[in-house]
Amino acid sequence: MSKCRELDPLFAPYADGEVAAADRASVESHLDRCPPCRENVAEQRTVRAAVAACRPSLRSSAPNELRARCAAHALSAPPRRSFAGRLADRPWIPLSLAATLVIAVAAAFIIGVNDKVEAIAAQLTLDHIKCFQFAPERLKHIDGATAAHQWAEKQGWTIAVPDSSASAGLELLGVRRCAMSSGRVAHVMYMWHGHPLSMFVVPRAIDGVPDRQEFVEKFGHEAVIWSGKDRTYVLLARARPTELAPVIGYVRQIAR
Amino acid sequence: MGGVKFDAMVFRRRATSSDPPAGEASPKSSESADDAFVQEALTYVDSLYGTALRLTRRPADAEDLVQDTYLKAFRSASQFQRGTNLKAWLFTILHNTFRNLLRHDGRNPVDVDSEYVDQAPAYGATEHSPEELLTRATLDADLQAALDALPDAFRQAVWLRDVEELSYAEIAQVLAVPIGTVMSRISRGRRALYERLRAGHLRETGTETVKRSADGKQKADVV
Repeated sequence: MSKCRELDPLFAPYADGEVAAADRASVESHLDRCPPCRENVAEQRTVRAAVAACRPSLRSSAPNELRARCAAHALSAPPRRSFAGRLADRPWIPLSLAATLVIAVAAAFIIGVNDKVEAIAAQLTLDHIKCFQFAPERLKHIDGATAAHQWAEKQGWTIAVPDSSASAGLELLGVRRCAMSSGRVAHVMYMWHGHPLSMFVVPRAIDGVPDRQEFVEKFGHEAVIWSGKDRTYVLLARARPTELAPVIGYVRQIAR
Repeated sequence: MGGVKFDAMVFRRRATSSDPPAGEASPKSSESADDAFVQEALTYVDSLYGTALRLTRRPADAEDLVQDTYLKAFRSASQFQRGTNLKAWLFTILHNTFRNLLRHDGRNPVDVDSEYVDQAPAYGATEHSPEELLTRATLDADLQAALDALPDAFRQAVWLRDVEELSYAEIAQVLAVPIGTVMSRISRGRRALYERLRAGHLRETGTETVKRSADGKQKADVV
């Protein structure tokens, strides 16, 4: 019987087929002679199979808010790049819905950031990613004046919509009210040399936003922010500031 | 948990047109590994949460535990050895954090109730096969109840092995006990589960009557 006790701890890995080769021989020779220990091993296998069969019901799904908060911790860890940045680096469109939910909820936490310029850039970058994920196929090319007119009729406040421009490499896709934005924000969507580019218009001046533009990098995107008369503008794309210069020059002639 | 504080590094502001150029654009290749780390780590949220629920038994506590785990993991990511099992590493952080919490509360870190699991089988041998035991409709609920009734130390070991499928060596690391202890706990834990499942099965199929003797121990007569 003392042999049973001695070998007992090995029965679990033996039942799993994971006992070391050196031990296997002694376990097996004992099992040949000991029916109770054979039963022990059989029971272990039965339980193992039972747990495997019940795994789906034993496991739990983490609440989405928890998922988002955990993802946000990746953003807050200094030496790493952000989770959303990683998403933003992927080719356009194939963001999964789950990933979008993570971004969406993470955005809610970003609003708490103190620096307004930083917070605006962060949130609008996420809006930019999300809108381009779902919207492009529904958008028809439109001219700037028509888009501005339709916006004013529907939303009750005016925006200047820079038209498509061959010299700036811009193709106007349309204007939509971004569902994720807090408050009223117009999202003017463009393709810029084949890449998504957004201009956001906030219908008020925001403290701390300079007249001349400020560049902020968010999640692999460059955000350019400036304030005009009763309006705040944010231009956003995956680009370096120097590459954006011609677009900024063109857009600022119209969106003042 | 209130708003998350963001580090200035993440929201590193680019030089404005009047500022000197930053000029330290970090190379993409070294960053992509970090992204892969974060991405993979986040795939274990469900596993960590489910395990945390088993440890704390309260959803709110489980959520806090998982959040703390990720916070620590992302902050000490440089200590993770690439090529080793990230899941096991996260589980180690989770369990360490949990043990520290218990210690902080002045509670016994793990409840090792050997007596419970080592009780001699209360039921005699029957002709019921493992197949019958495994195919019954109430298996999920019965197993759930049997696991809940298992003392913590045994439940944790069996859970990590049979639900989360960690290796024996990884479980030893996660639970901070020798590997022999892990084997023993799994072996005894599984058998305690088996006895409970079988007891439930016998009661259910009505092939057995269960009597309680004066000392409270269950005795059974197979009919």
